[in-house]
Amino acid sequence: MAGDMPFLRVDGVSKTFAGDARHGDIHVIDNVSMDVAAGEFVVYLGPSGCGKTTLMRIVGGLETANAGTVYLAGEKVVGADRKKGMVFQAYTSFPWLTVIENIRFGTRYRDDIGDAEKEAITRHYLDLVGLADFANYYVNRISGGMRQRVAIARTLAAAPDILLMDEPFGALDAQTREFLQDQLLEINREERKTTVFVTHDVDEAVYLADRIFMFSARPATIIEEIRVADHITGERTLETKESEAFFHLRNHVRDLMRDQARRTEAIAQQEIMTAQAETT
Amino acid sequence: MKFRDLFIYRGTSTSRSDAVLAVCAFVGFIGFWYAISEVELVPQRFLPLPWKVLTALYVMLAEQNFIEDIWISVARVWSAFMMSALMAIPIGIWMSSYRIVGALTEPIVDFIRYLPVPALVPLLIIWFGIGETSKLAVLWMGTFFQLVLLVADDAKRVPREFVETGFTLGGNSRQVTWHIVFRSMLPSIVDNLRITLGWCWTYIIIAEIVAANAGIGHAIWSARRFVKTPEVMAGILTVGVIGLLTDQAIRFAHRRYFRYL
Repeated sequence: MAGDMPFLRVDGVSKTFAGDARHGDIHVIDNVSMDVAAGEFVVYLGPSGCGKTTLMRIVGGLETANAGTVYLAGEKVVGADRKKGMVFQAYTSFPWLTVIENIRFGTRYRDDIGDAEKEAITRHYLDLVGLADFANYYVNRISGGMRQRVAIARTLAAAPDILLMDEPFGALDAQTREFLQDQLLEINREERKTTVFVTHDVDEAVYLADRIFMFSARPATIIEEIRVADHITGERTLETKESEAFFHLRNHVRDLMRDQARRTEAIAQQEIMTAQAETT
Repeated sequence: MKFRDLFIYRGTSTSRSDAVLAVCAFVGFIGFWYAISEVELVPQRFLPLPWKVLTALYVMLAEQNFIEDIWISVARVWSAFMMSALMAIPIGIWMSSYRIVGALTEPIVDFIRYLPVPALVPLLIIWFGIGETSKLAVLWMGTFFQLVLLVADDAKRVPREFVETGFTLGGNSRQVTWHIVFRSMLPSIVDNLRITLGWCWTYIIIAEIVAANAGIGHAIWSARRFVKTPEVMAGILTVGVIGLLTDQAIRFAHRRYFRYL
């Protein structure tokens, strides 16, 4: 079994959130399966509210599936721990700590290494995200982009098997976002960390991903798997975005995304009207 | 900054101008008091001149061992307050951590905290007598139930992502609670403690007036029997000054220790 098991396997996962008196149950994920190889960078792309974040949270052990199983490095995922590192859209760097203390916090619960090594790792990731000059700044003195770099460095300092990123650049302005995408690619070249990245930004998905899983409107199913690495080869740089391959792939993905966004809108309208009809 | 800027709707001010205005308000207040008393708009037997109050305070401190009354009241307030805080902080966090604890305790706590503390004084005296225990009980009743809910609310306001970050960095629930939840809410805990400490002073005076043979409340009440208005006012003034100084000290510590805010 362990021999043919991929690094990450999502096996027939379904999820329904139990409703209350006013709303019925919400079926968010419908029988999704996928295999991800070690070191691969995959993107979950889909319209807002489609269930892609929920799937990622199930992979991270922060949510439990109603059906199906997730295996990471051959083991069944049963809860959140240090093996599944998570970067959120909201700023999670701790305001009572400085930049370097935040990154050091990533090593706090590691019992596999000693203090000297923890310090070396803290330094390494501080340098990797380019914040050495801001090491002793409290995090609410620095920009949003810098705070996300702190969060990424802290997560990596915990040495997770997989890096899960939930729209980490969603709250940033376009220029900062682009800069951070490049930095993430650079970090990834160095670390080769298996990554699941959730976004609804088509350009971001195509630019970053080895592979994109395009999700449908709710309940989420995979409608297409796009092997970006087959179309866009070589190192990703800003020029990549000017290339013809990028252009074609982006347009294709954008069309898929438009269809699903429209369906999402229709579902939302339907739900509002049903709720309205029930109350009157 | 110009003087008329202070009149702009929701305008800003400098800490310097605030300080000047605060001093003006105190001077104005005492001046007003002095004026009323001097012209005997109110008889001086009821409203003595400000300096008479200060003289009374001096005499009380120098000759009537008032410093011991102050010390006794301060000790009562702080021991009850510490007891309240040391219980309310862990229990409040616990209430917000597990739904079962919160759902079981919140309705009862909500009920008890609406009970008027002065009305409980007779009951507490029946239960605990007129010794120190009943005073501690009054203060504890008046603060614990308020504080525990404030702490529980603060704990709930810690972003869910902070907690989840803690777990994904490998922390267990005990570590996440103390290293992240408690640390994150610490500034607001200190704020709430500061406010609660103020209430303690209200309750201690009530408790000491009802039954005590020492303490600031007792001193005020004894002075009343002989209509020694300056001494009554000196006692009240003492509570105000202690309250103001403690409050400022805690605010100062807050600014120093939570520099990141």
